[in-house]
Amino acid sequence: MDALVAQLQMQYRNYTASLYQQGFLDDQFTELKKLQDDASPDFVAEVLSLFFEDCVKLIGNMARALDQTGTVDFSQVGASVHQLKGSSSSVGAKRVKGLCVTFKEYCEANNYEGCVRCLQQIDIEYKALKTKLQDMFNLEKQIVQAGGKVPQVDN
Amino acid sequence: MTVEQEFEAVDQFPVGMRVLAVDDDQTCLRILETLLHRCQYHVTTTDSAQTALELLRENKNKFDLVISDVDMPDMDGFKLLELVGLEMDLPVIMLSAHSDPKYVMKGVKHGACDYLLKPVRIEELKNIWQHVVRKSKFKKMKSIVTNVESTDNTDQNGVKANRKRKDQFEEVEEDDEERGNENDDPTAQKKPRVLWTRELHNKFLAAVDHLGVEKAQPKKILELMNVDKLTRENVASHLQKFRSALKKITNEANQQANMAAIDSHFMQMSSLKGLGGFHHQQRQIPLGSGQFHGGAAATMRHFPLGRLNSFGGVFPHVSSSLPRNHSDGGYILQGMPIPPLDDLHINNNNNNKAFPSFSSQQTSLMVAPNNQLVLQQPSYASLNPGGFSPHLEINKRLEDWSNTLLSTNIPQSDVHSKPDALEWNHFCNSDAAQAGFSGANNLGPMTDAQLLRSSSPSEGLFVGQQKLENGSMPSDAGSLDDIVNSMMPKEQSQADFFEGDWGLDGIIAHSELAYENLFLCFLCNLVNMRKSVLFRHNQLLLPLVLSFFFLLSCKKKPVSPLCNLCFKHDGILFVLPMNLLAVKEWSNL
Repeated sequence: MDALVAQLQMQYRNYTASLYQQGFLDDQFTELKKLQDDASPDFVAEVLSLFFEDCVKLIGNMARALDQTGTVDFSQVGASVHQLKGSSSSVGAKRVKGLCVTFKEYCEANNYEGCVRCLQQIDIEYKALKTKLQDMFNLEKQIVQAGGKVPQVDN
Repeated sequence: MTVEQEFEAVDQFPVGMRVLAVDDDQTCLRILETLLHRCQYHVTTTDSAQTALELLRENKNKFDLVISDVDMPDMDGFKLLELVGLEMDLPVIMLSAHSDPKYVMKGVKHGACDYLLKPVRIEELKNIWQHVVRKSKFKKMKSIVTNVESTDNTDQNGVKANRKRKDQFEEVEEDDEERGNENDDPTAQKKPRVLWTRELHNKFLAAVDHLGVEKAQPKKILELMNVDKLTRENVASHLQKFRSALKKITNEANQQANMAAIDSHFMQMSSLKGLGGFHHQQRQIPLGSGQFHGGAAATMRHFPLGRLNSFGGVFPHVSSSLPRNHSDGGYILQGMPIPPLDDLHINNNNNNKAFPSFSSQQTSLMVAPNNQLVLQQPSYASLNPGGFSPHLEINKRLEDWSNTLLSTNIPQSDVHSKPDALEWNHFCNSDAAQAGFSGANNLGPMTDAQLLRSSSPSEGLFVGQQKLENGSMPSDAGSLDDIVNSMMPKEQSQADFFEGDWGLDGIIAHSELAYENLFLCFLCNLVNMRKSVLFRHNQLLLPLVLSFFFLLSCKKKPVSPLCNLCFKHDGILFVLPMNLLAVKEWSNL
């Protein structure tokens, strides 16, 4: 059993570290993890699921705004991007946030193609992050089920 | 629970501080909530600004602090900020992903206490409670009725440090300790406060007078005052403020003097040096240095009722004010009684003087940042430039004001008293001082009730009468005239006062006749332009700052006031030039 726990823990560590290295996550995510304690054991998971919900909603808004026949209301797009930027920076979704910054610039420049491209990229990014984090949470569950403690992985 | 109650009830503040978090982004809101919980605050969240407002309106005392996002769909965060500030006067912290300085600026302009950038870190949230304390302290100061020990004492700490008086060192140390204790616990500001009523203050003044401003010690003052439940600490802090205010007046006077170019001229009045203790420097004159009080003050105390006719040997004796102070029942205001005026009147004869220099220079000198110089003209008898006998009919009014000021204890922030214009007229019109005053006395209560209330620092205090009866305002008064005119329409309203600081510094000269006092002061100032001379009349301590601009002139030549009678009370500096009444509001004393 211990061997299993140890193995899982190592797996977890490596996986999480890779997420940081690949730029999926940043310091803010670490901070979030620190807020998780016995009182709120699923805090990070909760927040991340909220985040992904927001992603869906905001991306939908942006798509709709960009999909307008006629003149596109870039300010509306920009508002959604701004919000997404805020959320992503708060959860530590580094890549998503980076894309939001670029997206915003395109909005301000009223660059339609640029915006559309960014939107597509964000869509891909957040989904990828979601998958990765899902795997990470699963590993955590397994460790806990195996009777071990989830190791602390900082950056 | 009010904020203060919260502070008292929760000893571990900032633990338990009640925060309202507003953000339409649920992710951020959730994170914020957790962060705040981690800081041990009590958190309420909402994703709508409207809901937030409703929550706040429902119970104003339910929250200590509001944190709000800037970009919200139903209401602009800045709008919410404004509304909260206006309606509930709670500290609001803005939160945004916008790092653009212009947003930060906007936040500041709309009154935000702080502006945080997303993602918010817990370190930043750990200190937000400071805004609550700051705001509550500010509110406290505004609504103070009696002495504000902790805040004032802090200031006086610094002031005292500069003092040269060594004989007060012991007293200072003691006071410092007390204040130190208070300051260590900023949240424990609620202590039973002493109400410095007129009566109490009179006793205090009498005691100080008796002991000597310089030498007065709280212990002895306390003994002399013989008031129940008054502690030495109360007296000590009151004494501090008293001295500090005196000092400030002297500083003002000093500043004025420094700008004069006529110093040397007055230095020639060496005969007055015999008075002793005049400081000729620009430095701050320590309150009642021994020289002053012991020497000059003692001399000046005894000022005769006769007229001064010469510069030399100009300080004959006057009766001591002390007995008067105590026995003058009229000064102890129970309601708004008016004490019998003791011949204190100064008739200003400088009808024809214009004060271009006065207005330009004096206003700049006299006007502190937040204050307005309000000018006002009493009516005057004919000018007597040659003989030095300024006549300024004011003092009955001044005393009334001071009486009223001291007798009513009301929040400081917005009050200045103003004499009833009617009564002022009365004074000014009558050349027979005594008659005028005693007549005016009877108007006292009514008049006092009509004292002006200025609700904002920007309103100057309009003192006394509007225009000279005989229209003797100099035609070329220039801006002074304009100022006077602009002040005309000021209305009267109830005066609110609280026991405030007395500016006391310098020699205390006493005279029954105000004009003689003026003259006396003028003479003193000739010797030392930086000194503000005080004279007391019936407990009204009137520092006299003599204008160094004086030019004896007559008949329509522009002239600065011969001297300015100044007294400060409760943060209001009344400056009454001999030929013009000017009042300046001196806030934040």
